[in-house]
Amino acid sequence: MQFHRPETVEDALHLMAGQPAKLLAGGTDFFPALGGRRTSDAVVDLTGIASLSGIARSGSSWRIGAMTRWAQIRDADLPRQFLGLQLAAREVGSIQIQNTGTIAGNLCNASPAADGVPPLLALDADVEIAGPDGTRVIPLFDFITGVRRTELKPGEIVTAVLVPDAPASRSAFLKLGARRYLVISIAMVAANVVLSSGGALDGIAIAVGACSAVAQRLRKLEENLTGTVPGSEDFQKAIAEYGLHELTPIDDVRASADYRLAAVRTLIARAVMQAVEGRG
Amino acid sequence: MKFEEPTSDNLFDRAMVIGKATPRIDGPLKVSGQAPYAYERHDVVEDQLVGYPLGATIGRGRITAMDTEAARNAPGVAAVVTTLDIDPLEISSFNNARLFGGNEVRHYHQAIAVVVAETLEQARHAAEMIDVTYEEEEGNFDLEKAWQNGLGTDEADAETGNVDEAFASAEVTLDETYRTPDQSHAMMEPHSSIADWSDGENMTVWTSSQMIAWARKSLAETFDIDEDRIRVESPFVGGGFGAKLFLRSDAVLAALGSRAAQRPVKLTLPRPFIFNNATHRSATIQRIRLAAGQDGRLTAIEHEAAAHEFEGGGNEENPTNLTKLFYAGANRRVKHHDVVLDLPESSSMRAPGEASGLMAFEIAMDEMAEKLGMDPVEFRILNDTQVDPMNPDVPFSDRNFVDCLKVGAERFGWSDRNRKPGDTRDGLWMVGHGMAGAYRGAPTLTSGARVRLERGHLTVETDMTDIGTGSYTILAQTGAEMLGLPLEQVTVKLGDSRFPASSGSGGQFGAASSTAGVYAACVALREEIARRLETDDVRFEDGNVIAGNKAIPLEEISADAEITAEDTMEFGDFQDDLEIGTFAAHFVEVGVHAATAEVRVRRMLAVCDAGRILNPVTARSQVIGGMTMALGAALSEQLAVDKPRGYFVNHDLAGYEVAVHADVPDQEVIFLDTLDPAISPLKAKGVGELGICGVAAAIANATYNATGIRVRDYPITLDKMLDRLPETF
Repeated sequence: MQFHRPETVEDALHLMAGQPAKLLAGGTDFFPALGGRRTSDAVVDLTGIASLSGIARSGSSWRIGAMTRWAQIRDADLPRQFLGLQLAAREVGSIQIQNTGTIAGNLCNASPAADGVPPLLALDADVEIAGPDGTRVIPLFDFITGVRRTELKPGEIVTAVLVPDAPASRSAFLKLGARRYLVISIAMVAANVVLSSGGALDGIAIAVGACSAVAQRLRKLEENLTGTVPGSEDFQKAIAEYGLHELTPIDDVRASADYRLAAVRTLIARAVMQAVEGRG
Repeated sequence: MKFEEPTSDNLFDRAMVIGKATPRIDGPLKVSGQAPYAYERHDVVEDQLVGYPLGATIGRGRITAMDTEAARNAPGVAAVVTTLDIDPLEISSFNNARLFGGNEVRHYHQAIAVVVAETLEQARHAAEMIDVTYEEEEGNFDLEKAWQNGLGTDEADAETGNVDEAFASAEVTLDETYRTPDQSHAMMEPHSSIADWSDGENMTVWTSSQMIAWARKSLAETFDIDEDRIRVESPFVGGGFGAKLFLRSDAVLAALGSRAAQRPVKLTLPRPFIFNNATHRSATIQRIRLAAGQDGRLTAIEHEAAAHEFEGGGNEENPTNLTKLFYAGANRRVKHHDVVLDLPESSSMRAPGEASGLMAFEIAMDEMAEKLGMDPVEFRILNDTQVDPMNPDVPFSDRNFVDCLKVGAERFGWSDRNRKPGDTRDGLWMVGHGMAGAYRGAPTLTSGARVRLERGHLTVETDMTDIGTGSYTILAQTGAEMLGLPLEQVTVKLGDSRFPASSGSGGQFGAASSTAGVYAACVALREEIARRLETDDVRFEDGNVIAGNKAIPLEEISADAEITAEDTMEFGDFQDDLEIGTFAAHFVEVGVHAATAEVRVRRMLAVCDAGRILNPVTARSQVIGGMTMALGAALSEQLAVDKPRGYFVNHDLAGYEVAVHADVPDQEVIFLDTLDPAISPLKAKGVGELGICGVAAAIANATYNATGIRVRDYPITLDKMLDRLPETF
């Protein structure tokens, strides 16, 4: 087995050119996925590339390096549009997992229950990808295409997650499991809201995870909720009557599909209210 | 020494050390990483290799071929032993599923090979290379089906009075069926062993076992070698809960690997392997019928249950056992079906029988109290009994269940509870209160010890184990009390087959039995000292032996040569004429989310009656550990059975959800100040299993009280209440 630990993105791209290669980031999904077997592919360990780590604001957006650990995101001093993402960071696995697991690893692993995806969808995040032909940027929503499937092509590396600056936006994240912590989600909801001076929803983004193959934005519901006052009758009615047609939950050992649908409706209302109230 | 009659007044009634809150004396070793656990004993023998197991991936059938060539040629590999390489090993008298050997597969993840290599990674890698061909067979994996077929068949296990008549004429009756799932012990330390059988002659096993003598006997039977050639050491055990009562495949595979590689081998069962390879608590299905008059007095009790076991036996989960004893009532019938299934072997897990039995029975009591319009505390008080209700000539030795209920109700604030189900709200949370009673027997087993006094320092040696329970500390306290020494002058050595055989740890018999064994050895030592002083009248105080009006320092007595004594406590037949048990009342407050049905326990109170509490620190730790385990049992723990393929699907700690810190609220434990002279000279009974008993039902009852939704199928996961949640929230 070939094991490489390059120190620049260029070197990494060069190593990956022309041979089957697996990317290793935090390793928390990488090693379990091997199932105890050795891989015949080359392994390119990205932990040596310093430029891939860290959170910085540049112009009208925020750049979160691909190798930024969940613990860094959890502990960073960030505006409240990121509170939902930080709450999710607190619940990615355990503290040990957060210390090593990375943001891009969570996206590239493309689990339906990935904790990082709903808050990033609600933040309208884009994914920056470096490849042999240069760099491209695509919306996160287009990046994850199915269970364990992404748009990443052989020879490409995710280099950053880009989030547009939205200083007026507040956010929240809720994760539901049978036990309180260390749990694989039954369902989760992320919400980002912008309020008008009158207290109505000027802008709203809602994303739901673990209830479909790929986490979903509920765009139609967002439309219906825009202009309503959180907690008002109109607001409750819009959520109660919404068809949740984006979601296709399954029955499994953690909960039934029916339960997921019912619980999500409540989580949406709770998440929006929590975002409005700015509770952490 | 034989314990032949209830204890009268003795030195423990004026104790200086016993009964005092004492932090565990082995704590510093544990928190500094120096306590020698089995897998980390790199110093006990040189040239250790590492073993890795391979498990069968079918539920039932046979192996037709195993290709090990690639594994044998893999880097670092010293030996590969497959189940086809050897004749089936004997099944020891403590086992039911065969641990290794032969081509027959009787359960999923049955061990079928061990690879021994220089490193863990090499052994694991090579194990993956073994190619196995199976011939799969159909198996029976469905308890529900067996229950439907067996319900109402077979004779009762025990019956008194006229049950059918009592039900026919009763003013109030209840007839409900309850289900508890298969559960895993999920102790922190996996099954682990280092075995040195390099010469194929003498075997030494450094392992993680609750029962040294049983482990040794099992190894002798399994490998058909003389017990005298086997040594077993297990000084520290990272939790057992029954999983480590009996020999498991870790020690067997390490021994076989060692013989093949002619070097010592260490091996731990990987966590995802344990759930199907080792044992678990059986699922149960229980039908409970209760009859009572309007006055609330129970007139009839019927309890019929089923659990599953491996062919040949092993299941200890008989939920009807407690029903014979716990409450009054003239007419009673209990029946238990042990159904043979082809799942992995069911065996003992913390409070086998009582744990699942009370999960169901104490919901039934709650439901019956509601039908009668009674306070569930009052209902239980009214139906207390001081004698075995099926054999009224047999009294309880010391039963203070009513006091547990009364003290608990007062301390919890039961009178301020939510009375009407679904009536108390705290924002989006529905708040409820529930309680349950608990009963668990207090058995004793023969237990021996050796004591050595040298320059005033006492060393206690017994093969007793400390599985996190606090044995080291209570045995040191016992020795200190008996010899009038400060605790620091006592050293305790445990878990070695070279020491006198003890009760071991299990069935909550360990504390009562092993302290009695140390007591017996100390009595022998005191007698030896008296003999040397040529007197009958000695007392031991403040490091001195006092003979007449003379105080001689023990340091002086044992200055030239150590004085040793050894004895074994045997428990007399008089105990058979009594019911010796432990009792508790549990009170719980929960919040249930009105929309998602998340159940979050808010506070828990246990009031325990278990005789003298030898050490309030370690006893409390036992009880809150049991309460936490029961919280998992109530709300999230469940081994999911793949019925077509015959195995537990969620076989790791991500899928099998035990309670985490964030689930555990305020826990309070009150020990009643009681003594039971019939149990032992120390008048102390165990609490390790009492702590798990009844708690899950108290949570279930509180959940009902919060919501008005009765769930009779554990665990009470969120989705089971969904269709009955309130419309508005």
